[in-house]
Amino acid sequence: MTRPEFDDRSLLLHAALDGELDAAGVIEIERLLAADPKLAAEYARLKSLREAIHAKAPRESAPDSLRLRMMELAETQQTLRREAKTARWRDPPSWRSFAAAMAATVVVTLGLQHLIAAGNAPDTALQAIVSAHMRSQISGQPVDVVSTDRHTVKPWLAGKLPVAAEVVDLAEAGFPLAGGRIDIVAGAGVPTLVYKRRDHLISVTELRAEGEEAAIPRHLAVDGYPVVRWSDNERAYAAVSDLSPTELDAFVAAFRRAVAKERGGGGGAGK
Amino acid sequence: MTSETARRNFAEHVLPHLDDAYSLARWLCGDATDAEDVVQDACVRALKALEGGAAVERPRAWLLAIVRNAAYSWLGKNRPRAIVLAGAAEEAEAHADALETGGSPSPEAALIETADRAMVAAAIDGLPLTFRETLVMREINGLSYRDISEATGAPIGTVMSRLARARAMLAQKLGTVP
Repeated sequence: MTRPEFDDRSLLLHAALDGELDAAGVIEIERLLAADPKLAAEYARLKSLREAIHAKAPRESAPDSLRLRMMELAETQQTLRREAKTARWRDPPSWRSFAAAMAATVVVTLGLQHLIAAGNAPDTALQAIVSAHMRSQISGQPVDVVSTDRHTVKPWLAGKLPVAAEVVDLAEAGFPLAGGRIDIVAGAGVPTLVYKRRDHLISVTELRAEGEEAAIPRHLAVDGYPVVRWSDNERAYAAVSDLSPTELDAFVAAFRRAVAKERGGGGGAGK
Repeated sequence: MTSETARRNFAEHVLPHLDDAYSLARWLCGDATDAEDVVQDACVRALKALEGGAAVERPRAWLLAIVRNAAYSWLGKNRPRAIVLAGAAEEAEAHADALETGGSPSPEAALIETADRAMVAAAIDGLPLTFRETLVMREINGLSYRDISEATGAPIGTVMSRLARARAMLAQKLGTVP
């Protein structure tokens, strides 16, 4: 690495520019820059070169078509697995699988009763959420607080509501944050986050999940809008959008992953 | 590893870095459509690696290494000359280039700032492959030296000198009046 045209000082300069120096290195380069105007000029040049590259050759977004194809690549595997699992049930029955089937029936029945009991409440809640989403689209004001920065949206919501909403950044997954708003569900304010996908908006509302166990996403249609409802760790969510169901699914998956990461502090759920 | 775990790892490690993968592929192949093919090929390779039980510690560097390999395969098939140039000849050429830089008057910072998009793109495109990939990984993908070293398989010292030379060549191109 020691070529004649790049002495150690020059490499130090680049490392400083790239934020790769430790505290001692930073002090050293500051001393050198103060003492040597030629080196300082070189540093200024490198900085303007970096700015020119960042401004004029930015990182590009992968085309949506490519992103969708790659999402499907991940989903195909899931479909295959599901088929494999169903096939296993067709194996000749043994007392063991028979007992398992009976246990499953009991669970399913209990689950159904629970659903029927709770059946009406979520429907009005969903209706309210979908109405709020529709209103936001018609009024052209989908958010109360406009920001792509979750660190702006979260405190704004926290200042207005008794619950602390989890606000996650999904820009890398292709769903940049547009902002947040407060919707009224069952007479109480609830936090709604709004994410963007091309020209489409996705409203995701956090509901109180009283006694609700973690539930896999359910797909519903309310007033012609696809809605996905699920709950994780005592929190229930509903996402509404005019996106295609596949893309809405992708959003829900990205959102759940990000929330699990946020709450688990990187570990725990999802592994 | 079950395909379910592989799929989840794919969604977790690969999908969030598609923009980075695409940007790198685009600068390496120089064409949007070809870049899509390269990224798709890389994703299939990544999924296979995950199914094979690959342990991923630094997902972005890992994925970009796969994208780079896919891009090199693509270049080998479609632009064999670019690969030949990426060898020892390129090192020598760039070396000579950098030495010349030392002799001419210093490029102006102000002039560099006035360069437009097309000029910046042409200057980056004009860099020899190994220097271009190092520069793109650093400036456009924002990888650390360690990540670049992992993605390109070059020692950190080599990464540093390549980056320094790539910048010298760019500053020379953008900072001097034609």
